[in-house]
Amino acid sequence: MNEEKTKIKSLKDYAEDVYKCTKCGLCQSVCPIYKSTGLETTVSRGKFTLLNGIINGKLKFNKKIAKNLELCLGCKACYDFCPSGISAEEIIAAARNESLKTNKMGFIKGFILDNFRSNFRLSLLKIFLDIYKFFFLSRHCEELATKQSKNVSWFFGLLRFARNDINILLNTMTLFNSQLREHIKYRKLKPVKPQSELNIVYFPGCINNYVNPSVKNAVLIVLEKNCFRVNIPKNFTCCGIAARSSGDFKGFSELAENNINQIPDDVDYIITDCASCGSVWEFYPDFVQGKLKEKAKLLAKKTININKFLAEREIYFPENIEINKKITYHDPCHLKRFQNVFEEPRKILKQIQGIEFEEMKDADVCCGAAGTFCVSQPQISKAISSEKAQNILDTGADIVCTSCAGCKIGLSQGLIEKNSTIPIYHPVELLAELYLKDEK
Amino acid sequence: MSEFSSNINDKIINSFKSILGNQNVLTDYEDRYCYAYDATAIGETLYLPDAVVLPENKEQICQIVKIANKNNIPIVPRAAGTNLVGGCIPLKGGIVMHLSKMNKILNIDRNNLICIVQPGVVVGNLQQEVSDLGLFYPPDPASLKVSTIGGSIAQSSGGPRGFKYGTTKDYVLGLEVVLADGTLLKTGGTTVKNVTGYNLTQLFVGSEGTLGIVVETTLKLISKPEEQQVMLAYFESINQAAEAITGIISAKITPATLDIMDKNTMVTIENFHHVGLPTNMEAVLVLEVDGFKESVAVQTQQIIDICNKFGAKNIRVSQNQQEADELWFAFGAVARLRPNVLTEDAVVPRDKIPEFITKTREIFDRYNLTVCIMGHAGDGNIHPNVSLDLRNKEESENFEKAAEELFDTAIELGGSLSGEHGIGMLKSGFMRKALDENSIKYMKEIKKLFDPKNILNPGKIFHE
Repeated sequence: MNEEKTKIKSLKDYAEDVYKCTKCGLCQSVCPIYKSTGLETTVSRGKFTLLNGIINGKLKFNKKIAKNLELCLGCKACYDFCPSGISAEEIIAAARNESLKTNKMGFIKGFILDNFRSNFRLSLLKIFLDIYKFFFLSRHCEELATKQSKNVSWFFGLLRFARNDINILLNTMTLFNSQLREHIKYRKLKPVKPQSELNIVYFPGCINNYVNPSVKNAVLIVLEKNCFRVNIPKNFTCCGIAARSSGDFKGFSELAENNINQIPDDVDYIITDCASCGSVWEFYPDFVQGKLKEKAKLLAKKTININKFLAEREIYFPENIEINKKITYHDPCHLKRFQNVFEEPRKILKQIQGIEFEEMKDADVCCGAAGTFCVSQPQISKAISSEKAQNILDTGADIVCTSCAGCKIGLSQGLIEKNSTIPIYHPVELLAELYLKDEK
Repeated sequence: MSEFSSNINDKIINSFKSILGNQNVLTDYEDRYCYAYDATAIGETLYLPDAVVLPENKEQICQIVKIANKNNIPIVPRAAGTNLVGGCIPLKGGIVMHLSKMNKILNIDRNNLICIVQPGVVVGNLQQEVSDLGLFYPPDPASLKVSTIGGSIAQSSGGPRGFKYGTTKDYVLGLEVVLADGTLLKTGGTTVKNVTGYNLTQLFVGSEGTLGIVVETTLKLISKPEEQQVMLAYFESINQAAEAITGIISAKITPATLDIMDKNTMVTIENFHHVGLPTNMEAVLVLEVDGFKESVAVQTQQIIDICNKFGAKNIRVSQNQQEADELWFAFGAVARLRPNVLTEDAVVPRDKIPEFITKTREIFDRYNLTVCIMGHAGDGNIHPNVSLDLRNKEESENFEKAAEELFDTAIELGGSLSGEHGIGMLKSGFMRKALDENSIKYMKEIKKLFDPKNILNPGKIFHE
């Protein structure tokens, strides 16, 4: 294989893509950040102009440009809309990578990314979270959720020097509260038919492993009930999505290498439940070298989102058990636009007896969380989440479903702002609930 | 910040900040760099503004313009920046006024069939809002998903529906305009009939931001047609397609849209989007009829008969609007051929369309340029879309020459420089070809009367 192809693409490699932006401005119509700021600098057309300036040597990376680069959700909405077919998400990740060489990452963002790089640190985080859960995850969490900003900032006002950072951290913590509630506890259920021969690896991702195992429990229940044997290799790390979109390509490559190495060669499917964790397998081949690259290419084809896996099969729906709820569904960017999965979760939900499905307005517009974006740009992030929450509330739904751990943050952030306690479920959690009731 | 190209200085910037708030005044180099362009392919020349301001109400605009006028600072209004003739480019530096924060629909009056909107309202959003109420705002520039009412008024833009429903100019009933001296002028009113002195409203429509800044407008709405039907008719020659167009119009049928695409356009669309267009045909007519259900059925049949009579090879009747929308979206593929695309705009009398299309192709072929021709055949408006790489000097010079020949041809055939994009900076040099001395003289007098210091979008429309 030639040398060029094994290298990770840098901004220069995208020079022609950046140049061919015709500046038609259509990206303005779909960019959630432009909608919230109204600034030309925040939309892809503006960013391409800046990047073209950098490539031509008319501009240099600096703090201001680093900040502009930060203002992209990576939601890929503009890609679908771009007459020239330019992938802003990919180019901006490469530009961020380059920008990091001159402008260091923010402290909090760096801290978060560092945690995801090491399972040991995530385990420490888990202990911390478990303690947190024990003390705060009860009535307190509701109080905190609604009154957080006032009370907490008063208390931490004593620590003035780090007040902003602590506020941001606390805000993130509060959001976790709604993430931490465990809808589904694991139970071994009776399979409905003989065991399938498929060799399935389930990639649960770090939210499942370290924050809240509810979706993981549900995936296991649902797959086992439907007679699929599930293998979870021990040494998976974080999928690396946040590292890649922040431009930390080195970190991402390391995580990619590790995860690829954990997968046995004879695997039939790698199942993911989280949209982000699923989409990275498509990126992995570009970030690893040699033999691993070939393996990564094969694995990318075998990676499948749980919604799609289930929707393509005759799965078990118990008779006489209903979930009498009105449900709406939010499309994660990394599922709809990166993996082309959007009909499948709806198909599953509509098959559950008793469910009334109501489509929300702009179901596929980004929730505003976008990985570390909600931490680094809390104001814009909240504005976007808040609009999403309004669209959810307008449906009158009892439950909102989505298939991404990140989106759960965005949705809860918005719903908290609107003082709503609508629970957020993954479609498989509802299926698992159905199965659990069935075997009571 | 020392290299200001206009009379702007730190004191003036500070006064802007106190009027608008710090966050609505941009002066960083990188920010200004993103306001040096619009959708016009102008190559690498950089026209940097000295400041970008984002007003939130008309009072703020009055104050800003007053200061700009007093200090002789150019001011260029801009909203979505989708202009194709360089209308939003700050040729002389100064201030770019971005109206993205004035994007509210203030009122939709169902009894009087009007609406009152701010200039930053996106055309597509307005259409959706009024459509939900059973009403219709017909002007449909291709960029309507982003382009705004303010921009539509500035360029008097139109689109495919121009043939039956007219263009922006036919829907503007009244305006509030901030003049160069910072005072507010109200024109027209809220009624469809209104003959009270000079029609100042229409003077501002299409004035490209050179006479004043539109800060509010009252628009006419109509009832939404009950049904729509889209048809595609394929022909083996441009002449047959043109004969069919004449046939349809002389049969007293008025389709909502009557557009034509040439072979190159179809091939390009198919290459990138695979929407099922035949690539061996010379022309396709894209027609839409609307109205009451019964009338749509009758018109559809009549059109099918006429197209068949004039030799249509195939006619596709589409089930829904979506198919037409997809086709228009797919049309964007011309942007994928080469790095840059220049969408030209010329207008000729309807019966000259076949001749104009043939000559256009001949001109661009002669200059070795790739061109995809589409046009609103119903109103004689033709858009040659030229794909090229402006970094290639020869290509870019060839384009300039070809464009001039294109306009000469349009004028020879009894047409003019622009149907719906306007003049801006790109065509100002050709104005004398299209207009007589007296027209230009009086236009310049009008400009002088409204903007004696030439601060409003200087360098546009008139060649300096």
